[in-house]
Amino acid sequence: MRAMPATRRSVLAAVLAAAGTGLAACTSSGYPADPDGTLDRVTGGVLRVGASHHPPYVDATGPEPRGSEPDLVRAFAAERNATIEWTVSGEEALMTALKKGDLDLVVGGLTKEFPWTSHGSITRDYAEAEGPDGESVKLVMAVPLGENQMLTALEAYFDQRAAEEAR
Amino acid sequence: MTRRDTRETGPSGRRFGATELSPEIERVVQQAKRLEWATLGVIVVTIVLVAIVMGSSQAMRAAWIEDLLSLIPPIAFLVALRVARMAPTRARPYGSHRSVGVGHLVAAVALSVMGVVLVGDSILGLVTAEHPPIGTFDLFGHTVWQGWFMMAVMALSVPGPMILGHKKLKLAEQLHDRVLYADADMNKADWQTGVATIVGVAGIGLGWWWADSAAAIFVGVSIMLDGWKNLKEAVTNLADRRAATIDGARPHPLIDRAERVAWAEPWVRHAGARVRDEGHVFHVEMFVVPQQGADVTVGRCVGLREAISALDWKLEDVVVVPVAELPEEVRGGTRGDEQSKGSE
Repeated sequence: MRAMPATRRSVLAAVLAAAGTGLAACTSSGYPADPDGTLDRVTGGVLRVGASHHPPYVDATGPEPRGSEPDLVRAFAAERNATIEWTVSGEEALMTALKKGDLDLVVGGLTKEFPWTSHGSITRDYAEAEGPDGESVKLVMAVPLGENQMLTALEAYFDQRAAEEAR
Repeated sequence: MTRRDTRETGPSGRRFGATELSPEIERVVQQAKRLEWATLGVIVVTIVLVAIVMGSSQAMRAAWIEDLLSLIPPIAFLVALRVARMAPTRARPYGSHRSVGVGHLVAAVALSVMGVVLVGDSILGLVTAEHPPIGTFDLFGHTVWQGWFMMAVMALSVPGPMILGHKKLKLAEQLHDRVLYADADMNKADWQTGVATIVGVAGIGLGWWWADSAAAIFVGVSIMLDGWKNLKEAVTNLADRRAATIDGARPHPLIDRAERVAWAEPWVRHAGARVRDEGHVFHVEMFVVPQQGADVTVGRCVGLREAISALDWKLEDVVVVPVAELPEEVRGGTRGDEQSKGSE
Protein backbone atom coordinates (compact mmCIF):
# COMPACT_ATOMS: atom_id res chain seq x y z
CA MET A 1 0.00 0.00 0.00
CA ARG A 2 1.14 3.51 -0.61
CA ALA A 3 1.86 6.12 1.98
CA MET A 4 -1.41 7.99 1.52
CA PRO A 5 -1.87 9.30 5.06
CA ALA A 6 1.31 11.38 5.03
CA THR A 7 0.44 13.01 1.70
CA ARG A 8 -3.09 13.62 2.82
CA ARG A 9 -1.97 15.30 6.02
CA SER A 10 0.33 17.64 4.19
CA VAL A 11 -2.38 18.44 1.64
CA LEU A 12 -4.87 19.06 4.43
CA ALA A 13 -2.36 21.43 6.01
CA ALA A 14 -2.02 23.22 2.68
CA VAL A 15 -5.81 23.55 2.37
CA LEU A 16 -6.07 24.96 5.88
CA ALA A 17 -3.24 27.36 5.18
CA ALA A 18 -4.96 28.49 1.98
CA ALA A 19 -8.27 28.91 3.79
CA GLY A 20 -6.47 30.87 6.51
CA THR A 21 -4.83 33.26 4.09
CA GLY A 22 -8.15 33.56 2.28
CA LEU A 23 -9.99 34.56 5.44
CA ALA A 24 -7.25 36.91 6.52
CA ALA A 25 -7.31 38.48 3.08
CA CYS A 26 -11.08 38.99 3.24
CA THR A 27 -10.63 41.62 5.89
CA SER A 28 -7.93 43.61 4.08
CA SER A 29 -8.68 45.68 1.02
CA GLY A 30 -5.51 44.61 -0.81
CA TYR A 31 -6.95 41.34 -2.00
CA PRO A 32 -6.43 40.50 -4.77
CA ALA A 33 -3.12 42.34 -4.66
CA ASP A 34 -1.01 43.65 -7.56
CA PRO A 35 2.33 41.85 -7.92
CA ASP A 36 3.87 45.13 -9.11
CA GLY A 37 1.73 47.46 -7.00
CA THR A 38 0.10 49.35 -9.90
CA LEU A 39 -3.04 50.49 -8.09
CA ASP A 40 -1.13 51.62 -5.00
CA ARG A 41 1.17 53.72 -7.15
CA VAL A 42 -1.68 55.19 -9.18
CA THR A 43 -3.80 56.12 -6.16
CA GLY A 44 -2.85 59.68 -5.26
CA GLY A 45 -0.17 59.55 -7.94
CA VAL A 46 0.07 59.37 -11.71
CA LEU A 47 -2.06 57.21 -13.98
CA ARG A 48 -0.13 56.60 -17.21
CA VAL A 49 -2.72 56.05 -19.94
CA GLY A 50 -2.05 55.00 -23.51
CA ALA A 51 -4.66 56.09 -26.06
CA SER A 52 -4.98 55.11 -29.70
CA HIS A 53 -7.14 57.17 -32.03
CA HIS A 54 -10.53 55.47 -32.50
CA PRO A 55 -13.48 57.82 -32.75
CA PRO A 56 -15.97 58.11 -31.19
CA TYR A 57 -14.36 56.37 -28.23
CA VAL A 58 -11.01 58.10 -28.45
CA ASP A 59 -10.32 61.24 -30.46
CA ALA A 60 -6.60 61.88 -30.26
CA THR A 61 -6.40 64.80 -32.67
CA GLY A 62 -6.42 67.51 -30.01
CA PRO A 63 -3.79 68.41 -27.44
CA GLU A 64 -5.43 65.94 -25.03
CA PRO A 65 -7.45 62.85 -25.99
CA ARG A 66 -11.20 63.38 -25.96
CA GLY A 67 -14.17 61.06 -26.31
CA SER A 68 -16.16 58.64 -24.20
CA GLU A 69 -13.21 56.58 -23.03
CA PRO A 70 -10.92 59.46 -21.99
CA ASP A 71 -13.92 60.83 -20.07
CA LEU A 72 -14.37 57.50 -18.32
CA VAL A 73 -10.65 57.32 -17.54
CA ARG A 74 -10.65 60.90 -16.17
CA ALA A 75 -13.55 60.03 -13.87
CA PHE A 76 -11.76 56.90 -12.67
CA ALA A 77 -8.56 58.90 -12.09
CA ALA A 78 -10.49 61.56 -10.16
CA GLU A 79 -11.92 58.83 -7.95
CA ARG A 80 -8.37 57.64 -7.29
CA ASN A 81 -6.98 61.14 -6.79
CA ALA A 82 -4.65 60.52 -9.69
CA THR A 83 -3.33 62.85 -12.36
CA ILE A 84 -3.22 61.46 -15.89
CA GLU A 85 -0.20 61.27 -18.13
CA TRP A 86 -1.32 60.55 -21.71
CA THR A 87 0.61 58.71 -24.35
CA VAL A 88 -0.91 58.70 -27.85
CA SER A 89 0.27 55.99 -30.23
CA GLY A 90 -0.78 52.90 -32.19
CA GLU A 91 -2.12 49.76 -30.51
CA GLU A 92 1.04 47.71 -30.97
CA ALA A 93 3.29 50.38 -29.48
CA LEU A 94 0.88 50.95 -26.60
CA MET A 95 0.50 47.25 -25.78
CA THR A 96 4.26 46.77 -25.89
CA ALA A 97 4.66 49.70 -23.49
CA LEU A 98 1.96 48.19 -21.26
CA LYS A 99 3.80 44.88 -21.20
CA LYS A 100 7.07 46.61 -20.34
CA GLY A 101 5.39 48.38 -17.44
CA ASP A 102 5.57 51.88 -18.97
CA LEU A 103 1.76 52.29 -18.98
CA ASP A 104 -1.00 51.51 -16.47
CA LEU A 105 -3.97 51.52 -18.83
CA VAL A 106 -4.65 51.38 -22.56
CA VAL A 107 -7.80 52.66 -24.29
CA GLY A 108 -8.79 52.89 -27.93
CA GLY A 109 -12.22 51.39 -28.53
CA LEU A 110 -10.83 47.92 -27.79
CA THR A 111 -13.32 45.06 -27.85
CA LYS A 112 -13.68 41.66 -26.19
CA GLU A 113 -12.03 40.14 -29.29
CA PHE A 114 -8.84 42.19 -28.76
CA PRO A 115 -5.99 39.80 -29.67
CA TRP A 116 -3.18 41.28 -27.53
CA THR A 117 -3.97 39.13 -24.48
CA SER A 118 -0.32 38.12 -24.10
CA HIS A 119 0.59 41.77 -23.46
CA GLY A 120 -2.12 42.87 -21.06
CA SER A 121 -5.13 41.88 -18.98
CA ILE A 122 -8.36 42.65 -20.79
CA THR A 123 -11.12 44.02 -18.57
CA ARG A 124 -14.68 42.85 -18.49
CA ASP A 125 -16.77 44.77 -21.06
CA TYR A 126 -18.08 48.10 -19.76
CA ALA A 127 -20.45 48.87 -22.65
CA GLU A 128 -21.77 47.63 -25.96
CA ALA A 129 -21.49 49.46 -29.24
CA GLU A 130 -21.93 48.91 -32.95
CA GLY A 131 -18.83 47.47 -34.56
CA PRO A 132 -17.38 48.19 -38.02
CA ASP A 133 -19.43 45.45 -39.70
CA GLY A 134 -22.65 46.55 -38.03
CA GLU A 135 -22.54 43.83 -35.40
CA SER A 136 -22.63 44.54 -31.71
CA VAL A 137 -19.21 44.61 -30.02
CA LYS A 138 -18.30 44.69 -26.32
CA LEU A 139 -15.97 47.49 -25.29
CA VAL A 140 -13.03 46.76 -22.98
CA MET A 141 -9.78 48.34 -21.79
CA ALA A 142 -6.36 46.85 -21.05
CA VAL A 143 -4.31 46.96 -17.84
CA PRO A 144 -0.90 45.39 -17.08
CA LEU A 145 -0.91 41.57 -17.04
CA GLY A 146 -1.68 40.04 -13.68
CA GLU A 147 -2.15 43.38 -11.89
CA ASN A 148 -5.33 42.00 -10.47
CA GLN A 149 -6.03 44.74 -7.93
CA MET A 150 -5.89 47.32 -10.70
CA LEU A 151 -8.09 45.12 -12.87
CA THR A 152 -10.55 44.59 -10.02
CA ALA A 153 -10.66 48.31 -9.15
CA LEU A 154 -11.34 49.31 -12.76
CA GLU A 155 -14.03 46.66 -13.24
CA ALA A 156 -15.63 47.65 -9.94
CA TYR A 157 -15.66 51.23 -11.21
CA PHE A 158 -17.40 50.10 -14.43
CA ASP A 159 -20.03 48.32 -12.33
CA GLN A 160 -20.46 51.39 -10.13
CA ARG A 161 -20.98 53.61 -13.20
CA ALA A 162 -23.45 51.17 -14.71
CA ALA A 163 -25.41 51.12 -11.45
CA GLU A 164 -25.44 54.94 -11.32
CA GLU A 165 -26.62 55.16 -14.92
CA ALA A 166 -29.37 52.64 -14.28
CA ARG A 167 -30.63 54.68 -11.38
CA MET B 1 -15.68 -28.52 -14.34
CA THR B 2 -18.55 -26.18 -13.96
CA ARG B 3 -17.29 -23.71 -16.48
CA ARG B 4 -18.49 -25.63 -19.49
CA ASP B 5 -22.03 -25.54 -18.21
CA THR B 6 -22.05 -21.78 -17.83
CA ARG B 7 -20.66 -21.07 -21.24
CA GLU B 8 -24.16 -20.59 -22.58
CA THR B 9 -24.94 -17.66 -20.27
CA GLY B 10 -23.49 -15.20 -22.78
CA PRO B 11 -20.54 -12.83 -22.77
CA SER B 12 -21.67 -10.52 -19.99
CA GLY B 13 -22.47 -13.13 -17.38
CA ARG B 14 -20.91 -13.35 -13.95
CA ARG B 15 -17.42 -14.16 -15.09
CA PHE B 16 -14.14 -13.09 -16.59
CA GLY B 17 -13.69 -15.14 -19.75
CA ALA B 18 -13.91 -18.77 -18.73
CA THR B 19 -13.58 -17.97 -15.03
CA GLU B 20 -16.84 -18.06 -13.20
CA LEU B 21 -17.02 -15.48 -10.44
CA SER B 22 -18.33 -16.11 -6.97
CA PRO B 23 -21.21 -13.87 -5.86
CA GLU B 24 -18.85 -11.89 -3.62
CA ILE B 25 -16.41 -11.13 -6.42
CA GLU B 26 -19.25 -10.34 -8.79
CA ARG B 27 -20.53 -7.89 -6.19
CA VAL B 28 -17.12 -6.21 -6.17
CA VAL B 29 -17.25 -6.03 -9.98
CA GLN B 30 -20.65 -4.35 -9.86
CA GLN B 31 -19.45 -1.99 -7.15
CA ALA B 32 -16.43 -1.04 -9.27
CA LYS B 33 -18.70 -0.46 -12.25
CA ARG B 34 -20.95 1.81 -10.22
CA LEU B 35 -17.91 3.72 -8.92
CA GLU B 36 -16.66 4.27 -12.45
CA TRP B 37 -20.02 5.50 -13.68
CA ALA B 38 -20.15 7.80 -10.65
CA THR B 39 -16.66 9.02 -11.55
CA LEU B 40 -17.74 9.78 -15.11
CA GLY B 41 -20.72 11.71 -13.71
CA VAL B 42 -18.58 13.71 -11.29
CA ILE B 43 -16.01 14.54 -13.97
CA VAL B 44 -18.63 15.64 -16.50
CA VAL B 45 -20.24 17.94 -13.92
CA THR B 46 -16.80 19.34 -13.04
CA ILE B 47 -15.96 19.89 -16.70
CA VAL B 48 -19.15 21.88 -17.22
CA LEU B 49 -18.69 23.92 -14.01
CA VAL B 50 -15.06 24.73 -14.73
CA ALA B 51 -15.88 25.65 -18.32
CA ILE B 52 -18.38 28.19 -16.97
CA VAL B 53 -16.02 29.88 -14.48
CA MET B 54 -12.84 29.39 -16.52
CA GLY B 55 -12.84 32.82 -18.17
CA SER B 56 -9.44 33.63 -19.61
CA SER B 57 -7.54 31.97 -16.76
CA GLN B 58 -4.77 29.73 -18.03
CA ALA B 59 -4.68 27.92 -14.69
CA MET B 60 -8.33 26.99 -14.95
CA ARG B 61 -7.90 26.04 -18.57
CA ALA B 62 -5.14 23.59 -17.58
CA ALA B 63 -7.35 22.14 -14.83
CA TRP B 64 -10.08 21.75 -17.40
CA ILE B 65 -7.87 19.87 -19.85
CA GLU B 66 -6.83 17.58 -17.01
CA ASP B 67 -10.48 16.88 -16.28
CA LEU B 68 -10.93 15.88 -19.91
CA LEU B 69 -7.93 13.53 -19.62
CA SER B 70 -9.29 11.98 -16.45
CA LEU B 71 -12.31 10.77 -18.41
CA ILE B 72 -10.04 8.26 -20.15
CA PRO B 73 -9.31 5.76 -17.31
CA PRO B 74 -12.96 5.19 -16.30
CA ILE B 75 -13.88 4.66 -19.94
CA ALA B 76 -10.90 2.31 -20.35
CA PHE B 77 -12.06 0.39 -17.28
CA LEU B 78 -15.63 -0.02 -18.49
CA VAL B 79 -14.55 -1.10 -21.96
CA ALA B 80 -11.85 -3.45 -20.66
CA LEU B 81 -14.31 -5.06 -18.25
CA ARG B 82 -16.81 -5.66 -21.01
CA VAL B 83 -14.19 -7.23 -23.23
CA ALA B 84 -12.62 -9.29 -20.43
CA ARG B 85 -15.96 -10.93 -19.79
CA MET B 86 -16.04 -12.53 -23.23
CA ALA B 87 -15.64 -16.29 -23.19
CA PRO B 88 -12.61 -17.85 -24.86
CA THR B 89 -13.20 -19.04 -28.40
CA ARG B 90 -11.26 -21.10 -30.88
CA ALA B 91 -9.83 -17.89 -32.32
CA ARG B 92 -9.09 -16.36 -28.90
CA PRO B 93 -8.20 -19.42 -26.85
CA TYR B 94 -6.81 -17.47 -23.89
CA GLY B 95 -9.94 -15.38 -23.56
CA SER B 96 -9.76 -11.60 -23.69
CA HIS B 97 -8.28 -10.86 -20.28
CA ARG B 98 -5.51 -8.84 -21.86
CA SER B 99 -8.03 -6.06 -22.37
CA VAL B 100 -7.14 -5.14 -18.78
CA GLY B 101 -3.50 -4.73 -19.77
CA VAL B 102 -4.46 -2.62 -22.76
CA GLY B 103 -6.81 -0.54 -20.62
CA HIS B 104 -4.05 -0.10 -18.07
CA LEU B 105 -1.66 1.11 -20.75
CA VAL B 106 -4.24 3.60 -22.03
CA ALA B 107 -4.91 4.88 -18.50
CA ALA B 108 -1.19 5.08 -17.75
CA VAL B 109 -0.57 7.14 -20.89
CA ALA B 110 -3.41 9.51 -19.93
CA LEU B 111 -1.94 9.91 -16.44
CA SER B 112 1.58 10.50 -17.79
CA VAL B 113 0.39 13.04 -20.36
CA MET B 114 -1.46 14.89 -17.63
CA GLY B 115 1.67 15.06 -15.47
CA VAL B 116 3.91 16.13 -18.34
CA VAL B 117 1.48 18.79 -19.58
CA LEU B 118 1.04 20.17 -16.07
CA VAL B 119 4.76 20.37 -15.34
CA GLY B 120 5.70 21.62 -18.82
CA ASP B 121 3.02 24.28 -18.84
CA SER B 122 3.93 25.50 -15.38
CA ILE B 123 7.67 25.62 -16.02
CA LEU B 124 6.96 27.63 -19.16
CA GLY B 125 4.78 29.95 -17.08
CA LEU B 126 7.55 30.49 -14.55
CA VAL B 127 10.30 30.96 -17.13
CA THR B 128 8.31 33.53 -19.12
CA ALA B 129 7.21 35.15 -15.83
CA GLU B 130 3.59 34.92 -16.86
CA HIS B 131 1.43 37.05 -14.55
CA PRO B 132 -1.99 35.35 -14.58
CA PRO B 133 -4.85 37.82 -14.83
CA ILE B 134 -7.94 37.10 -12.73
CA GLY B 135 -10.65 39.72 -12.94
CA THR B 136 -14.08 40.10 -11.46
CA PHE B 137 -17.66 39.32 -12.32
CA ASP B 138 -20.87 41.08 -11.52
CA LEU B 139 -22.94 39.11 -9.02
CA PHE B 140 -26.32 40.82 -8.58
CA GLY B 141 -24.80 44.27 -8.45
CA HIS B 142 -21.74 43.26 -6.42
CA THR B 143 -18.30 43.16 -8.00
CA VAL B 144 -16.79 39.85 -6.88
CA TRP B 145 -13.25 38.72 -7.57
CA GLN B 146 -13.35 35.67 -9.85
CA GLY B 147 -10.63 34.01 -7.75
CA TRP B 148 -13.11 33.35 -4.95
CA PHE B 149 -15.39 31.60 -7.36
CA MET B 150 -12.55 29.53 -8.80
CA MET B 151 -11.44 28.45 -5.34
CA ALA B 152 -15.03 27.52 -4.44
CA VAL B 153 -15.49 25.41 -7.57
CA MET B 154 -12.13 23.72 -7.03
CA ALA B 155 -12.95 23.05 -3.37
CA LEU B 156 -16.18 21.40 -4.52
CA SER B 157 -14.25 19.27 -7.00
CA VAL B 158 -11.84 17.86 -4.39
CA PRO B 159 -13.91 15.51 -2.16
CA GLY B 160 -15.43 13.51 -5.03
CA PRO B 161 -12.22 12.11 -6.54
CA MET B 162 -10.69 11.81 -3.08
CA ILE B 163 -13.42 9.45 -1.88
CA LEU B 164 -13.80 7.62 -5.19
CA GLY B 165 -10.06 7.05 -5.52
CA HIS B 166 -9.80 5.67 -2.03
CA LYS B 167 -12.64 3.23 -2.62
CA LYS B 168 -11.21 2.15 -5.96
CA LEU B 169 -7.87 1.24 -4.42
CA LYS B 170 -9.52 -1.39 -2.24
CA LEU B 171 -11.64 -2.83 -5.04
CA ALA B 172 -8.67 -2.84 -7.42
CA GLU B 173 -6.80 -5.13 -5.06
CA GLN B 174 -9.74 -7.51 -4.63
CA LEU B 175 -10.39 -7.71 -8.37
CA HIS B 176 -6.72 -7.55 -9.29
CA ASP B 177 -7.72 -4.88 -11.79
CA ARG B 178 -4.92 -2.53 -12.77
CA VAL B 179 -7.13 -0.21 -14.82
CA LEU B 180 -9.03 0.50 -11.65
CA TYR B 181 -5.76 0.94 -9.80
CA ALA B 182 -4.47 3.43 -12.37
CA ASP B 183 -7.78 5.24 -12.21
CA ALA B 184 -7.40 5.56 -8.44
CA ASP B 185 -4.08 7.27 -9.18
CA MET B 186 -5.89 9.51 -11.67
CA ASN B 187 -8.41 10.46 -9.00
CA LYS B 188 -5.55 11.26 -6.66
CA ALA B 189 -4.05 13.43 -9.40
CA ASP B 190 -7.42 15.15 -9.84
CA TRP B 191 -7.96 16.16 -6.27
CA GLN B 192 -4.34 17.12 -5.76
CA THR B 193 -4.54 19.38 -8.82
CA GLY B 194 -7.70 20.87 -7.37
CA VAL B 195 -5.93 21.64 -4.09
CA ALA B 196 -2.95 23.03 -6.00
CA THR B 197 -5.25 25.34 -7.97
CA ILE B 198 -6.86 26.59 -4.75
CA VAL B 199 -3.45 27.29 -3.25
CA GLY B 200 -2.27 28.86 -6.52
CA VAL B 201 -5.27 31.16 -6.93
CA ALA B 202 -5.09 32.16 -3.26
CA GLY B 203 -1.42 32.99 -3.84
CA ILE B 204 -2.24 35.05 -6.94
CA GLY B 205 -4.68 36.97 -4.75
CA LEU B 206 -1.79 37.81 -2.44
CA GLY B 207 0.11 39.17 -5.41
CA TRP B 208 2.31 36.10 -5.89
CA TRP B 209 2.06 35.70 -9.65
CA TRP B 210 4.23 32.54 -9.48
CA ALA B 211 2.06 30.75 -6.92
CA ASP B 212 -0.17 28.93 -9.38
CA SER B 213 2.70 27.58 -11.47
CA ALA B 214 4.71 26.60 -8.42
CA ALA B 215 1.81 24.67 -6.89
CA ALA B 216 1.12 22.99 -10.22
CA ILE B 217 4.74 21.86 -10.59
CA PHE B 218 4.62 20.43 -7.09
CA VAL B 219 1.69 18.11 -7.82
CA GLY B 220 2.61 17.71 -11.49
CA VAL B 221 5.84 15.95 -10.58
CA SER B 222 4.00 13.46 -8.37
CA ILE B 223 1.47 12.82 -11.14
CA MET B 224 4.29 12.30 -13.63
CA LEU B 225 5.93 9.74 -11.32
CA ASP B 226 2.62 7.91 -10.85
CA GLY B 227 2.15 7.91 -14.61
CA TRP B 228 5.64 6.56 -15.22
CA LYS B 229 5.15 3.82 -12.60
CA ASN B 230 1.87 2.76 -14.21
CA LEU B 231 3.36 2.90 -17.68
CA LYS B 232 6.19 0.61 -16.64
CA GLU B 233 3.76 -1.78 -14.95
CA ALA B 234 1.42 -1.90 -17.92
CA VAL B 235 4.16 -2.56 -20.43
CA THR B 236 5.97 -5.22 -18.42
CA ASN B 237 2.72 -7.00 -17.62
CA LEU B 238 1.76 -7.03 -21.28
CA ALA B 239 5.23 -8.42 -21.96
CA ASP B 240 4.50 -11.44 -19.75
CA ARG B 241 6.53 -10.66 -16.71
CA ARG B 242 5.96 -12.74 -13.59
CA ALA B 243 2.59 -12.03 -11.97
CA ALA B 244 2.93 -9.37 -9.29
CA THR B 245 0.79 -7.76 -6.64
CA ILE B 246 -1.46 -4.94 -7.82
CA ASP B 247 1.04 -2.25 -6.81
CA GLY B 248 3.75 -4.13 -8.67
CA ALA B 249 5.92 -4.10 -5.57
CA ARG B 250 6.48 -7.84 -5.17
CA PRO B 251 5.79 -11.22 -6.79
CA HIS B 252 2.20 -12.29 -6.35
CA PRO B 253 1.86 -14.57 -3.27
CA LEU B 254 -0.32 -16.98 -5.25
CA ILE B 255 2.76 -18.13 -7.18
CA ASP B 256 4.34 -19.38 -4.00
CA ARG B 257 1.09 -20.92 -2.79
CA ALA B 258 0.54 -22.77 -6.06
CA GLU B 259 4.06 -24.17 -5.92
CA ARG B 260 3.53 -25.33 -2.35
CA VAL B 261 0.43 -27.23 -3.45
CA ALA B 262 2.51 -29.00 -6.08
CA TRP B 263 5.33 -29.80 -3.65
CA ALA B 264 2.78 -31.31 -1.27
CA GLU B 265 1.87 -34.01 -3.79
CA PRO B 266 3.68 -37.24 -2.80
CA TRP B 267 4.49 -38.05 -6.44
CA VAL B 268 6.16 -34.69 -7.09
CA ARG B 269 9.87 -34.29 -6.52
CA HIS B 270 10.37 -30.74 -7.84
CA ALA B 271 7.90 -28.16 -9.00
CA GLY B 272 8.14 -24.66 -10.32
CA ALA B 273 5.58 -22.39 -11.92
CA ARG B 274 5.59 -19.81 -14.66
CA VAL B 275 2.73 -17.47 -13.82
CA ARG B 276 1.75 -14.49 -15.92
CA ASP B 277 -0.86 -11.90 -15.25
CA GLU B 278 -3.44 -11.92 -18.00
CA GLY B 279 -5.53 -9.21 -16.38
CA HIS B 280 -7.76 -10.15 -13.43
CA VAL B 281 -6.74 -13.80 -13.81
CA PHE B 282 -3.44 -15.64 -14.06
CA HIS B 283 -2.15 -18.16 -16.53
CA VAL B 284 -0.26 -20.85 -14.60
CA GLU B 285 2.15 -23.32 -16.13
CA MET B 286 3.19 -25.69 -13.37
CA PHE B 287 6.25 -27.72 -14.27
CA VAL B 288 6.60 -30.86 -12.16
CA VAL B 289 9.44 -33.37 -11.96
CA PRO B 290 7.93 -36.67 -10.76
CA GLN B 291 9.55 -38.80 -8.05
CA GLN B 292 11.76 -41.63 -9.31
CA GLY B 293 9.51 -44.42 -10.52
CA ALA B 294 6.27 -42.55 -9.78
CA ASP B 295 3.49 -42.92 -12.30
CA VAL B 296 2.36 -39.66 -13.87
CA THR B 297 -1.24 -40.47 -14.60
CA VAL B 298 -3.88 -38.24 -16.12
CA GLY B 299 -5.76 -38.50 -12.82
CA ARG B 300 -2.79 -37.17 -10.83
CA CYS B 301 -2.26 -34.27 -13.21
CA VAL B 302 -5.94 -33.34 -13.19
CA GLY B 303 -5.99 -33.63 -9.41
CA LEU B 304 -3.04 -31.26 -9.06
CA ARG B 305 -4.56 -28.88 -11.57
CA GLU B 306 -7.81 -28.73 -9.63
CA ALA B 307 -6.04 -28.36 -6.30
CA ILE B 308 -4.18 -25.35 -7.65
CA SER B 309 -7.19 -23.70 -9.18
CA ALA B 310 -9.11 -24.26 -5.93
CA LEU B 311 -6.65 -21.86 -4.23
CA ASP B 312 -8.14 -18.74 -5.70
CA TRP B 313 -10.62 -17.62 -8.34
CA LYS B 314 -7.77 -15.97 -10.22
CA LEU B 315 -6.21 -19.40 -10.89
CA GLU B 316 -8.46 -21.03 -13.44
CA ASP B 317 -6.24 -21.37 -16.46
CA VAL B 318 -3.76 -23.89 -15.03
CA VAL B 319 -1.58 -26.26 -17.03
CA VAL B 320 0.41 -29.06 -15.38
CA VAL B 321 3.49 -30.03 -17.35
CA PRO B 322 5.44 -33.14 -16.27
CA VAL B 323 9.12 -32.73 -17.16
CA ALA B 324 12.37 -34.54 -16.50
CA GLU B 325 14.09 -31.37 -15.38
CA LEU B 326 12.73 -27.93 -14.44
CA PRO B 327 13.23 -25.21 -17.06
CA GLU B 328 15.89 -22.76 -16.01
CA GLU B 329 13.51 -19.84 -15.49
CA VAL B 330 11.51 -21.67 -12.84
CA ARG B 331 14.37 -23.54 -11.30
CA GLY B 332 14.00 -21.44 -8.21
CA GLY B 333 10.89 -23.46 -7.52
CA THR B 334 12.11 -25.03 -4.29
CA ARG B 335 11.56 -23.77 -0.79
CA GLY B 336 13.25 -20.51 0.18
CA ASP B 337 14.13 -19.73 -3.41
CA GLU B 338 14.45 -16.33 -4.99
CA GLN B 339 11.09 -16.42 -6.65
CA SER B 340 9.24 -16.89 -3.40
CA LYS B 341 11.31 -14.38 -1.51
CA GLY B 342 9.31 -11.52 -0.15
CA SER B 343 5.99 -13.18 -0.87
CA GLU B 344 4.14 -13.26 2.44
